[in-house]
Amino acid sequence: MHIFFRRLGSILREKPRLNMEVFVARSRLTLIFSLFALLFLSSSSLSSSTSELQILTAERRIDLASHIIRVVLTLKVQNDEASPASNVLLAFPPAQAKHLALIQAAEVAGKKRKKSLHPLDVKQSNHADGPNGAKLYSISLRNPLSTGGSVSIEVSYVLTQSLEPFPVEISQSESQLVLYRDSALILSPYEIKQQTTVIRTPSTKIESFTRVEPSTQLRTELKYGPYEDQPSFSYSPILVHFENNNPFAVVEELVREIEISHWGNLQVTEHYTLVHNGARHKGGFSRVEYQSRPTISGVASFKHLLVKLPPRVHSVYYRDNIGNISTSHLRTGYSKSELEIEPRYPLLGGWKATFIIGYGLPLEDVLFESDDGKRYLNFSFGCPIAETLVNKIINKVVLPEGSKNPSIVVPFSVERREETSYSYLDIVGRPVVVLEKENVVPEHNVLFQVYYDFHPMSMLAEPLMLTSVFFFLFVAALAYIHMDISIRK
Amino acid sequence: MAQSVKPISSPVPVAWYPSLAVLMLAVGLFITASFFIYEATSSRKNRSLAKELVTGAMASVFLGFGSLFLLLASGVYV
Repeated sequence: MHIFFRRLGSILREKPRLNMEVFVARSRLTLIFSLFALLFLSSSSLSSSTSELQILTAERRIDLASHIIRVVLTLKVQNDEASPASNVLLAFPPAQAKHLALIQAAEVAGKKRKKSLHPLDVKQSNHADGPNGAKLYSISLRNPLSTGGSVSIEVSYVLTQSLEPFPVEISQSESQLVLYRDSALILSPYEIKQQTTVIRTPSTKIESFTRVEPSTQLRTELKYGPYEDQPSFSYSPILVHFENNNPFAVVEELVREIEISHWGNLQVTEHYTLVHNGARHKGGFSRVEYQSRPTISGVASFKHLLVKLPPRVHSVYYRDNIGNISTSHLRTGYSKSELEIEPRYPLLGGWKATFIIGYGLPLEDVLFESDDGKRYLNFSFGCPIAETLVNKIINKVVLPEGSKNPSIVVPFSVERREETSYSYLDIVGRPVVVLEKENVVPEHNVLFQVYYDFHPMSMLAEPLMLTSVFFFLFVAALAYIHMDISIRK
Repeated sequence: MAQSVKPISSPVPVAWYPSLAVLMLAVGLFITASFFIYEATSSRKNRSLAKELVTGAMASVFLGFGSLFLLLASGVYV
C-alpha cells in the first residue's frame, strides 16, 4: 500500500511540460485512485462476508464404526460485527463435499436435561468457493444473531465412500484395514477460538494415525485437540489407518416399483444389485476353512442382511434369476416386520449378488385422502435394508389408470420424470412417477408423498371392460343363431 | 401433517372378494344357461330378440363382475 503512496507522490511532484502531459498525468492519477478505491472496497466486502462471526468452541465427533461415516459438529458461534447475522457458513474440503450424502443442522436451546433441538435449513451457499476449492454450505438461523450474541448449533452430516481399503486386496483369512483422511483442524470460514476433534473407531486395533500435537489415543477413541486460536480456513491433513470389519454393503442400483391398486393392495417389487465394497478378495475361497473357523476366516465378509418392512406386510418373496431363495426368515409384528435374508453365498470383498424382494401392503396403510380431495400415497423413500448405502435409487410409483396431475412432496432433492406403464386390463396405460436419487443412506428412509386426482367412477372401467367382452360373445352367439345359411329353402 | 388423515380402502371389503366371486359367477352361469336353453327350446317364430338381448346383457354383467372378483381374489390386483 505504501508503494501506491510513493507512486502518487512522484506523480504529484512531476512537473507536466505540455497540456497533453497534464492530461496524461491527471488520467493516471484518477486511474490509480479508482484502482485503490476498488481494492479497498473489495477487500472490505470479502472480510465482511467471511469473518463476521467467530466460533468460540467447536467440537467434532466422527463415528467410523460402519462404512457410512456420521459426524456431529457442535459449534458455539458469536457475532462480533456491527450488523446482525442471519446465516452461518460451513466449509467442506472438495473431496468430502462430493461424498456428502446428508447434512442437517439444529439450534440447541437449553442445557443438559432440558436440551431441545430446533431444526434449521441447510443448503449449498451461493458464495464463491473458499481457498483450494472448499465448498460452502449456509445454515439459516431462526432469529438473526445480534451483535455480541451467541448461538449453539449442532450440525450432523453423513459421508459415504470415504474409507479406502488399504491393503486394497486381502485374502480370506485377513482382517480388513481402511484409511480415513481428514483434517485435525476443523475447516471453517471463521476463526475458531477452541476446537477438539474426537474420532471413534470400531475396534481398538488402530494401525497408525497422524500425530498433530496434542493428540491422544484412548482405546477406540482418538482425540485431536484442544487447539486454540486457529485462523479461518486452517487445515491440517491427517490419516487414520484402522481395522473395520463391519459389513461394507453397498447396493449399486435399486429399482423399486410401487404399484397402487385401488381394489385394496399396494405391491412393491425391489430389484437389488448388491456388492461388498470393502477390500477386494484375492486368492481362492475355501468353504471348509470359512465354515470351520469363523473367527479367523472371512471376518470382513457378511452373510446376513436385515430388511426392515412395514407392519401388516403379506406375500413376501425373495428370489433371483435362478428362482426362489429359501434362506430367509420373516418376523411380522405390530410396529414393523423384519425380513432376514441370506444370499446364496457369503459376500467377500468385490463380490456381487442380485436379487428381487417383493411384498404387498394393505391399501389403507399407505393411501390417504387429503383435505382438497386429492389422494396421496405415503411411503418411505430409501432402501429398507439396514445400514446399506445405495449408489442410485430409482423409485417408480405406478398410479392406477385414470389418475391425473401427479405431484410429489419429498424432504430432499430428487430427480423426477414421468413414464407410462401397461399392466392388466389397461387401455391408455398407467402414469408412472419416477424419482431418482444418488448417494442414499439409511437416514433418507423418510416418508414421501405422491398426490394425484382420481375420480372413483374410473374404477368401473375395469369391470365394464370384462362385461363388454362377455356381451360381445353373447351377441356373436345370437348372430350365429339368427343367421340362416342353409342352402335349401 | 393433514388435519384429518382419511385412509382410502377398496369400495368393497377385501374379505368379501372370494365369496363375491363365486356368487356372481354362479348367478352369471345360471343366466347363461337359461339363455342357451331359451335358444334351444324356442322355435324361430316364437323367439323374441328383446328377451334374448336382455338375458345376454344380464348374464354378461354378472360374469364380468364375477371374473373381476375372481382375479382380485387370486391376488392379481388389477
